[in-house]
Amino acid sequence: MRRHVPNILGLILLVILTAFPFVYTGNDYPYVMHMLITAFFYAILASSWSMLAGYAGQFSFGHIGFMGVGAYTAALFSHYIWLSPQPTGLCTEYQIGGHWLVFVNAIGVTSTTLAQDCLHTAMAKWGESVQVTPMPVWLGILLGTLMGGLFGFLVGVLVLRLRAAYLALFTLGFAEILKATISAEIEFTRGQAGMEMPALFDHGITLFGHHFTRNDKLPPYFVMFGLLLVCLLILAWLAHSKFGLYVRALREDQDAAAALGVNTTRYKVLVFVITTMMAAAAGATQGYYVGIVTPNSLFLLQMSLVVAMAVIGGVENFVAAAIGAVLIEFALEMLRNSFTIGGFVIDMTVWRLVFFGLLLMLTLRFARNGLIAPIIAYFARGHVARETVAKRAAPGSPEVVE
Amino acid sequence: MALSGIFWVVIVWMIAWGAIGSVLIRRRYLAHDLDTSNAVFAGATVGAALGPIGLVPLWLTTPVLDRRFTVLPSILAVALMAVAFAVSHPNNICVTSGSFVASQITNGVIIGIIYGFMALGLTLIFSILGVVSFAHGEFYMIGGMLVYYITSVWLPGLNPLFAIFAACAIVFAVGAIFERIFLTPMYEGKIDRPVEYGILITFGLAFTLQYFVQATAGANPVKAARYFDFPRIHLPSAHDHWLIKTSRGSMELFNTISISNPRFTAAIACILVLIGLIFFMQRTWTGKALRAVSQDREAAAIAGINPDRMNMLAFAMGAMIAALAGALLVQAFSWLPQVGNIPAMRSYVIVVLGGLGSLPGAFLGGILVGLVEAAGTGCIPDAQKAASYIPAYGMIVLTLTLLLRPTGLFGRRFAGGAHGKM
Repeated sequence: MRRHVPNILGLILLVILTAFPFVYTGNDYPYVMHMLITAFFYAILASSWSMLAGYAGQFSFGHIGFMGVGAYTAALFSHYIWLSPQPTGLCTEYQIGGHWLVFVNAIGVTSTTLAQDCLHTAMAKWGESVQVTPMPVWLGILLGTLMGGLFGFLVGVLVLRLRAAYLALFTLGFAEILKATISAEIEFTRGQAGMEMPALFDHGITLFGHHFTRNDKLPPYFVMFGLLLVCLLILAWLAHSKFGLYVRALREDQDAAAALGVNTTRYKVLVFVITTMMAAAAGATQGYYVGIVTPNSLFLLQMSLVVAMAVIGGVENFVAAAIGAVLIEFALEMLRNSFTIGGFVIDMTVWRLVFFGLLLMLTLRFARNGLIAPIIAYFARGHVARETVAKRAAPGSPEVVE
Repeated sequence: MALSGIFWVVIVWMIAWGAIGSVLIRRRYLAHDLDTSNAVFAGATVGAALGPIGLVPLWLTTPVLDRRFTVLPSILAVALMAVAFAVSHPNNICVTSGSFVASQITNGVIIGIIYGFMALGLTLIFSILGVVSFAHGEFYMIGGMLVYYITSVWLPGLNPLFAIFAACAIVFAVGAIFERIFLTPMYEGKIDRPVEYGILITFGLAFTLQYFVQATAGANPVKAARYFDFPRIHLPSAHDHWLIKTSRGSMELFNTISISNPRFTAAIACILVLIGLIFFMQRTWTGKALRAVSQDREAAAIAGINPDRMNMLAFAMGAMIAALAGALLVQAFSWLPQVGNIPAMRSYVIVVLGGLGSLPGAFLGGILVGLVEAAGTGCIPDAQKAASYIPAYGMIVLTLTLLLRPTGLFGRRFAGGAHGKM
């Protein structure tokens, strides 16, 4: 019976999280919802990273870079490609049916020319008579995901021969090159200023007879929550299929796995592609939700957060990593309030990160499986240990080989 | 301008032939059952430097590859790139002004010496513990912070030399304590994957230290006063000072090369400490014990060396070297809690380029990376873009090294991951 406790608790958690936006009526409703959406975003990153690092043993420090690939692909797509019912005559454009696909080319970027490109020039000429439509958001997310998978494939192929420290350094290098490129190519990506993105539901959305405006938190909540659930389901399916077995064999001993007939090349690349696609999808969705993407979101701090969440939750269990991410995001938000002791102002916005780092180190040192994974394991596998002990103690049992 | 395209055509040509060479030559050596450890790198450099003219003879003869087949083509490839750049950008300052080039090279070497020195600490830690310390940049930052606080806030007027010693001692102690508490389980076989554990735990340390300093010292940039003023020297005479001219803050050689005081003192100090370090590693019992442990743990233990003590010493010394580099540079750059990130990245590049665990490799790698950065920042026409790309130059070097020659310039065979299984 006890082995079902995690499943039951998981179901209860699922129901609570689904019902929460309808039940909760506090004054800080938008704030709490925003916190939850961000927590889900980190949960996707942490759980996919735990598949990559914990299951497959590929300690990649470029995960946040792939997130950035997704976000920036979506941002560039939404920023540079528009649909117009009239030809502008200025931009590069292709006719598709009754519409024109417009590729915007910006005229230099300074603070005064931010809104000066060929499309805006044409729109100023048309006045209000012509309405251009942005490309659909879901297509941006899809493209971002695919682009993340493509980058994941390339990096996965490049790191095939690298292990451990070399792999960590290479992936870190990938993230840094990406960040430097985005910061430097100002005329294309707007550099440090970041790129604005349309909202997830720019014109609002009507669900079950209720209209939600673009600023309502409920639709993005369910988009991000749904994405998290899809990712977790895919990860669970992978972990329980042969894929999970092969990938764990890869982690334990690559040469032995290859000798036993596991196609190590294929599975190593595959695990990279799948997890980076998840990170990219999360990045694109979060970008549309927040409305802006900047190179600072690729900072090492973000990577540290993802790693720490996964490790504190339990790096070898992606559900634990996801729960760890949600709990830590909440804990970090709760600890935001600064206070004063005897004239000293304790700036909790920074000190909370110090405690967080200490927690990460202590977890690694004294609870190697994380803080949440052992609880799940205790319920799900506790009976196995007891049965084993009982069998060993039983008279006449074969001696256990040490 | 039509000419500027030539540079990119040459680059693409070199990349294409380098890629073809690296794949084909490796295939060829595999098919002949020969040693392929040099084949990828040799194929890539010969392809990049000479194109098909070099690759066809290499393919046909399939000689035994030694240093000649990698060093000469690499030099040739760099020269080819330089010529292509000169042809395509005839008005660039790197092409027209010889004194600018000399100045850039000198400054590249000087900053490279400091980078190399810092990377030395990282490679020392790796060669003994098999761990890449991700907290290296934070030790660098703390070294500089401590010197600033000692000389400017706590004890103003103190000789900076004492402050540097104090900073080194404190960081040494921090490194030793951290190693005792957090890294010891690695050696006792309690952890399935010690290398990954080492990466994650130092990553956590970096995070903690960086925010600890930010919480205590604040996020405002600080800068220490200059340690040492140059004496006024004009040689050969005060009126005709073509040989050397100094003011308090900088020095000018041959009327062309100007070197700033803080960087110069830092580089000289690094070289002095390096000489001391070489003496320590080669002549003293402890240094020999360190080298013995890095070569063979079990054999060293049989010979009466306690490898665990050497682990502690290596980690603390590595951290101290980073702190010393920071302590020497806090007079040159403004200091923030995040200041360690970029030097740390550079150190990773350098140790991989030089070969993880190789001390001379780290130093040479440092100078090479310093030169690459000087060329990259000095010669790219768009200055703002060049500055933004600074972190990327090193990372491109890192990527190329890992792809073509994962053992680095002087590396032992660590890349397979056998090292660190203790």
